[in-house]
Amino acid sequence: MAFVAVVTFAVVLNPHGSNASARIAHLETLVRCPSCDDLSVAVSNATSAIAVRHEIAAKVHEGQSDNKILTSLESAYGTSILLSPPTSGLGVLLWIVPLFGLLILIASAIRLTRRR
Amino acid sequence: MTLTWLGRVALYICFVGSIGGVTEQIVALRHRRASRALWWAGLSLAGIVAAIAVMEFALVTHNFSLAYVAENNATFTPLLYSITGMWSALEGSLMLWVLLQSLVTLGVLFYYRRDAADAVVRWAGLILFSIGGFFTLIMMGPADPFIHNAALVHQGAGPNALLQDNPLVAIHPPLLYLGFVGFSVPFAFAIAMLITGRVQDRWPLEQRRWTVLAWGSLSLGIVLGAWWSYQVLGWGGFWGWDPVENAALLPWLTATAYIHSVIVQDRRGLFRVWNLSLAVATFALTILGTFFTRSGVLVSVHAFSSSTLGPILIGFFFVIVVVGAGLLAWRGDRLRAPVGVDHPLSREGLFVANNILFVGFAIVVLLGTVFPLLYQAINGTQVTVGTPYFASVAAPVAVVLLLLMAIAPLVSWRSADAKVLWERTRVSAWAGVVAVVLLLIFGVRRPAEVVAVFLSVLAAGAALRTLRGALVAAIRRGAWRSVLRAPATGGMIVHLGVVILALGIVTSTTYVRRAEVTLASGQSTVVDGQLVRFMGFHAVSDALRSATQLKVSVDGHELRPAVTTYHGRGGTTVGTPAIDSNLARDVYVTFDAVGGNGSTSGAQVQNNLPAGSVVLGVTVEPLLAWLWLGGLTIGLGSALSFFRRRYGDEASK
Amino acid sequence: MVSALTAMVVVVALSLFLATRHPVGGATNTQSPLLGKMAPVVSGARLGGGSPLNIKDDRGKVIVVNFWASWCGPCVTEAPNLSTFAWQERNRGVVVVGVVFDDTVSAAQAFATHYGSLYPSVIDPGGVITNRYGVTSPPTTFIINAKGVVVATLIGPVSTRQLEVAVAKVKA
Repeated sequence: MAFVAVVTFAVVLNPHGSNASARIAHLETLVRCPSCDDLSVAVSNATSAIAVRHEIAAKVHEGQSDNKILTSLESAYGTSILLSPPTSGLGVLLWIVPLFGLLILIASAIRLTRRR
Repeated sequence: MTLTWLGRVALYICFVGSIGGVTEQIVALRHRRASRALWWAGLSLAGIVAAIAVMEFALVTHNFSLAYVAENNATFTPLLYSITGMWSALEGSLMLWVLLQSLVTLGVLFYYRRDAADAVVRWAGLILFSIGGFFTLIMMGPADPFIHNAALVHQGAGPNALLQDNPLVAIHPPLLYLGFVGFSVPFAFAIAMLITGRVQDRWPLEQRRWTVLAWGSLSLGIVLGAWWSYQVLGWGGFWGWDPVENAALLPWLTATAYIHSVIVQDRRGLFRVWNLSLAVATFALTILGTFFTRSGVLVSVHAFSSSTLGPILIGFFFVIVVVGAGLLAWRGDRLRAPVGVDHPLSREGLFVANNILFVGFAIVVLLGTVFPLLYQAINGTQVTVGTPYFASVAAPVAVVLLLLMAIAPLVSWRSADAKVLWERTRVSAWAGVVAVVLLLIFGVRRPAEVVAVFLSVLAAGAALRTLRGALVAAIRRGAWRSVLRAPATGGMIVHLGVVILALGIVTSTTYVRRAEVTLASGQSTVVDGQLVRFMGFHAVSDALRSATQLKVSVDGHELRPAVTTYHGRGGTTVGTPAIDSNLARDVYVTFDAVGGNGSTSGAQVQNNLPAGSVVLGVTVEPLLAWLWLGGLTIGLGSALSFFRRRYGDEASK
Repeated sequence: MVSALTAMVVVVALSLFLATRHPVGGATNTQSPLLGKMAPVVSGARLGGGSPLNIKDDRGKVIVVNFWASWCGPCVTEAPNLSTFAWQERNRGVVVVGVVFDDTVSAAQAFATHYGSLYPSVIDPGGVITNRYGVTSPPTTFIINAKGVVVATLIGPVSTRQLEVAVAKVKA
């Protein structure tokens, strides 16, 4: 059981490689292809996706941080270019609800145990 | 003009059948006399079959006097795609829906014809007729498939390019719709049970039987949809967390929770309110799904488009929820079982966790799907909620579900004994450890993969152990075939299918390798251990399409990735991927670009390449075929589960 | 009971919210006074240098004229779609031509370079072309058929699909 718990955390908090190609690959999965509906630039072969991939690669080699690259893409294409909404503001709701659900799960388990 | 008239009359007949059925059931309930509902159901079915016959006739003979045919068919459309053109667009898809609904209504009434006097059956029939009537009414108004095309048109637009290059278009929508329509049955029975107050005896299990049928169809439909996307969309993926895909997933999640939860009701009489709520929720989510697909409110590659249906469908969703919740509130107190769950780690307790997990995940997926709308309404800007969000929520849920699958079948009812559990899981646990050690030795180190394999071995172990127990018991009784109808057999086979599916998903996404290779004719290269050789061009042209194919050999097998232009509709060009598949890995090849000044192929030109060389996209995904294998196993298991014996029934039956 | 009530409230709110959403349209097809008339002249210096541009040279093809500006937000959204469409259709008798709406040459140039514009654009000093076309705000797109007649006017950011559908109607 303990083994499973530890490894579960490892899965969820999987650290990403810090070398350039791993960073590029990771960033590409977070950015939407501008002329597609919901494909990331990592998988799409549309002209605009290829262009964004080159842009990300160029910026990573320039030494910009992940956050800076994503912010610059956001200001160029609008917030909808990122596949995950910003975590500040309303976007925080997307994370609160699952956490809330987890709490309910734990709470009902505790309540069941107490009932005995 | 005649076809329009014929089609509309047929739809009216279908509607009359539904209305007649509703009134018949009301009268029969009131006056307690025999019901002729079967005849009305038959009339309804005859009406919709006639309407479909009219439409298919028009499609197959390329009769453009119907606007629907002019928009979805052309003179050179092959027979198969003319036939499937019936459900390729919004109005026609509703005809498929009503057909299946009429069939299901007739089927249910026929199956319970000996209980036709039972109030539960009568109320259920009434609800089913109403649902059929609602969808027929839509087709008689805002979504008329038989609109006359006044212009004299010699050529139609043809179906969408992506709907005419794979025969799965003939199988995926009917299976999917059978699932959606099928969920109307447990809903109807839930309402009937609430109204009559009879929530015990055989009805919950009967309800479950139909839910399993619908659930199995929907599962197969979703997996086939994934397979279809995989084969044609060109990115080697099979699920995009697209709003319409999520719309199909939501009722599937609550239906899965329901199928499990009813087992507890069958065994110990618990969870009655949960189960009725889940039955109502599943159908409500189905209607919500049709709203997302047909209202045009969310952008999706799979969506039909319309504007007037949105408010109508949401209104229907609203009515369903209000009626269901209202009845639950009214009858709620009478329903609660006197006993409770004894221990959180007993089998009942784990089923509670299961319910919360599935419903919780469904809520999160729903939130993610409507979030862009919420955000835009409040902040005015557009956002996208895509794979990164959904995948991060799905991963821990999947891990816990695999864990539940590993433990729950082996845990006792009413109590939790760690020693007994260990005794039962010991073999699987050691097998799991051996598997992990082997993986690590062979260099497979990603945590996601290791965890998935370990839990899969445990879950498979639990399923196999249960199956073995049932088989042994059946052999001892001298009737080994009775194991097929044992309570857990179908379910355990489904679990095995889920394990295979999960391993396929985790392995193919964790170890996928993508590469763009540039090859001149005769050259070859190695991608992730696969030998890829480009051998030349090949042009194909027929009435339907012109394509430039590439002759590519992967590992000795010849593939033909292409760029295809479909005639009609101004000529849409799509990439046609080619796949070399075996149980160990899939190699997915696409024709990405061509050198020189390009050809008439329509493929993108890459300027710094010599003419005659091509850029191929090569994606290698290990164990991808396990997804389809897993899906098939799930389908088989659910078919078996349809015939499940009720707990306590004589095993020799 | 409380949980049931909250669930009901949430569902009611969700239903009302969804019922009041408008379908996503992208650009709207509008009735402009130019519909059915010969398209006004689009000619001038090419953005980025090179020979001057005149759409009369493309008579016989379907021409998509798109008015854009570097300061216009929706133009950012539609820029990749126009490029993708232009590239897709380049051998199939469709040309895309941009017109710079009320903007400085340097800003427009930077925009076009940044978004990798795959079609030529014309500089419109004095807003002469804009006036002829009656464009009040970018992005506005006109579809002109092979005979030089304006057949559609789209106001708002266009998607590739919309362009495909609109152009297919012209070709049919």
